Amino acid sequence: MRRRVRGSAPDNFELNLTPLLDVVLQLITFFMMLVHFGTRIEGETRAVRLPVTAAALPAGDLGLDRLVVAVDREGRLLAEDQTRTGQAAASWWTDQAKLRREGRRILGGPGDELPTVVVIRADRDAAYGSVRKTLAQAQATGFAHFSLVVLREERP
Amino acid sequence: MIRRSKRPRPPDEVAFPVTPFLDMAFQLLAFFILTFRAPSPETKLDLYLPSAPIALPDSPRGVVKAPSLDDPDLETDLLVHAEADDKGSLASLRLGETPVDGVGDLETRLRKYARLIPGKNLRVRLVAPDRLRYEEAARVIAASASAGVASIRLVEPKGERR
Repeated sequence: MRRRVRGSAPDNFELNLTPLLDVVLQLITFFMMLVHFGTRIEGETRAVRLPVTAAALPAGDLGLDRLVVAVDREGRLLAEDQTRTGQAAASWWTDQAKLRREGRRILGGPGDELPTVVVIRADRDAAYGSVRKTLAQAQATGFAHFSLVVLREERP
Repeated sequence: MIRRSKRPRPPDEVAFPVTPFLDMAFQLLAFFILTFRAPSPETKLDLYLPSAPIALPDSPRGVVKAPSLDDPDLETDLLVHAEADDKGSLASLRLGETPVDGVGDLETRLRKYARLIPGKNLRVRLVAPDRLRYEEAARVIAASASAGVASIRLVEPKGERR
């Protein structure tokens, strides 16, 4: 029986890296392009379905001093993993304002108006009145800057 | 006489070291993958609501007139009235006393009006019943903000004041 003689392997085996490098650079470009669009506003919760607004609105920066709350479809205030209504909600706002005023007093900040941005995630099916009352409660304690979180388009 | 020295001949093959380049590329790729966050459709509507409210515009009957484009002294405080049906959906919209055809029409009118008063801050007060769905109110607020309104305030309707 005759043995088949195999052809000998080449001395220099070189992996062609060029296509790999092409793909890697394309992926880097892809992630670099998307890195600015991934801005998310904190406090996302499943308990709240945000409203969709058709108007084109730019999403600017929120600043460092923020207070994130949510309003569920029954109009209850969701903050710090607790649900509050009525007087409990009002006293929570008072406590938050007091805490921030104390901080401002120590730092020597000017004025009585709090610079904190109150970020409100309100449910689309909540009554407008409940959101307005939440804003009014916060406003009465000294908060003046508010951001209502909405969706540009329906989530897929 | 100085003899010219022979220059060394270039090698036949120039090898480009791809490995460090690839290492760096993988490091960058790992960084971007680890810090990647999917694009979010979320945006925000900014409201500045100081506790000391700005005075309402003067009007003999306490009602703001519909903006007249012939008026040389154009109003900068506008009232937007929203009405709701029994289900809380938006039933009608008025800009001052002028009925408008939905949120899109409101945005168009406000945008045109804002162009007439360049350099002035246009302010809108939204008067809506409490039973209105928040999504409808948010659309009105978003349309106003998109039209270039500088300040939006939420006003409690007279009939619902305690």
